[in-house]
Amino acid sequence: MSPLLEINDLAVTFATRHGEVTALDSVSLHVNEGETLGIVGESGCGKSITALSVMGLIPQPHGRIRAGSIKLAGEEFVGATPARLRQMRGAEAAMIFQEPMTSLNPVFTVGDQIAEAITLHQNTSRDRAFKDAIALLDRVGIPEPDKRARDYPHQLSGGMRQRMMIAMAVSCRPKLLIADEPTTALDVTVQAQIFDLLNEIQRDFGAAILLITHDMGAIAEMADRVSVMYAGRVIETATADQVLDTPQHPYARGLIDCIPALGKSETGLKEIPGVVPPLHMLGAGCAFAQRCDHAQARCLREKPKLINHGHHPAACHGVEEARL
Amino acid sequence: MNDTPEFKPESPGLEAWRMFRRNIPAVFGLVLLIVIFLATLYGALIYNGDPFDIVWAPHEMPGATPEFPLGTDYLGRDIIAGLLTGGGPTLAVGAAAAALTMFIGISLGALAGYYGGWVDNLLMRFTEFFQVLPALLFAMVLVTLFSPSLWTIAFAIGVVSWPQTARLTRAEFLKIKELEYVTAARAIGARNKRIIWKVILPNAAPPLIVSATLTIGVAILFEAGLSFLGLGDPNVMSWGLMIGANREFILEAWWPVTFPGLAIFLTVFAVSLVGDGLNDAFNPKLRQR
Repeated sequence: MSPLLEINDLAVTFATRHGEVTALDSVSLHVNEGETLGIVGESGCGKSITALSVMGLIPQPHGRIRAGSIKLAGEEFVGATPARLRQMRGAEAAMIFQEPMTSLNPVFTVGDQIAEAITLHQNTSRDRAFKDAIALLDRVGIPEPDKRARDYPHQLSGGMRQRMMIAMAVSCRPKLLIADEPTTALDVTVQAQIFDLLNEIQRDFGAAILLITHDMGAIAEMADRVSVMYAGRVIETATADQVLDTPQHPYARGLIDCIPALGKSETGLKEIPGVVPPLHMLGAGCAFAQRCDHAQARCLREKPKLINHGHHPAACHGVEEARL
Repeated sequence: MNDTPEFKPESPGLEAWRMFRRNIPAVFGLVLLIVIFLATLYGALIYNGDPFDIVWAPHEMPGATPEFPLGTDYLGRDIIAGLLTGGGPTLAVGAAAAALTMFIGISLGALAGYYGGWVDNLLMRFTEFFQVLPALLFAMVLVTLFSPSLWTIAFAIGVVSWPQTARLTRAEFLKIKELEYVTAARAIGARNKRIIWKVILPNAAPPLIVSATLTIGVAILFEAGLSFLGLGDPNVMSWGLMIGANREFILEAWWPVTFPGLAIFLTVFAVSLVGDGLNDAFNPKLRQR
């Protein structure tokens, strides 16, 4: 089975006052039909840029796709015409944003906004679209959907708004759903509900999900496979169980160690020391070398490649040498 | 989930109106404006008489003759008739000029702010070109070029006053286009045209509505200024024309200029109160319940 979404060697650069910086560096990943791929990493590692690249929404005019390919259902979308991209957005791939507070238009009712999304891609009347919108609101578990459809976004709670966003995203039955940190802005109890809803939606609509998160807990709950990103590169990729149980890259191990476990009486929360280096200050070597306990001279000189060193693919010299 | 008892949906417009209603000066301004509007609309029907007719001796004091409570001007024309019939054209010029200002200003400002880059550069340099010309002189040139009529005056006022609106619209667009719901709209496949007019513009509307209201006031003053300088339409009675025609005799008779001046003052005052009221009503920071 060929993958639904296939990204190969994608490179994205941004023009900044430090000159051109590489936000994504030869990123390759794929999402099969109906599965969930999680992309994990800290802020600024390129997760969201990957998502925006797929949607053809890299911030203009500073961002550019330099190289690589993005294939959705076999069709190449790097270099596609704006008109084709527009047709694709919403209909073939849709996106759920992090902040349900700010990603809804405050001056229109939620029903209108969903109906709008429907009429953009389907040739139906406004009334019919509004009825569909109510049905969708019902489907995503919003009580009294016919009343709520006439509410404005600010009258709904955060969780309801995110349900609303999900309803809007699935309104045209896209094959790929990109969820960019869909629960980060929500209460923990609501987070679980939203994950349940996404799982249900995936089952009913048969959509694949590209889940972007920094939360390993979310990965454990949602993802079939995982790609770990760091400073614009994919540094480890495998099934969710493999990454969670036997992380290879020290960074992935660090992320998993950071999950606070219930009952374990440790002294405080764990963290990975240091921060992601600014993208304009990436040197020749491994971007994680400065923060890595196992860094050697080679790590500072040479960028590791994403290679399977026995277990599953990881981009780390240490893993490679341990095996040798 | 959210079971607040009868949480009534309220549109942003309705909410703004609720806020506006609490603002007593603004409501006063609105009432005053409605009274002025009705007076100019129906006043001429009730109090009939051609404002250009010479009906009495010139420079009759107000109150001296019961038939002409506000007196007559230098040609012996009835001042009340002038006020009532002259209001319509004055308001019409103000409204038409404001409409043209908003039309040009919003179109150019929206395109410049949304597209940015060379479009923005080109449109903003064009805007600055209009902005550096002294407005009154430029308007005078335009009116002289096209021979004074109400519409050329409205046109001239519109042409000289749109740069402010363009800059305001551009600023709003620059701010709003970065917001997440604009990206979200793009992510469901909305095209640029739709995003400009149906996503960003409604969100930029509050300051623009305020600005449009205040522009009406400025346009009325502008029209009065042009008429005062003798560039009004001589065939249509307006408040500006009354002032312009009588200004030479201001030392002998104060009333032919004072009453139309007062009418202009009250109108612009009312418009400003309404504009300020709208500004407060749309400003969420001033909304305390």
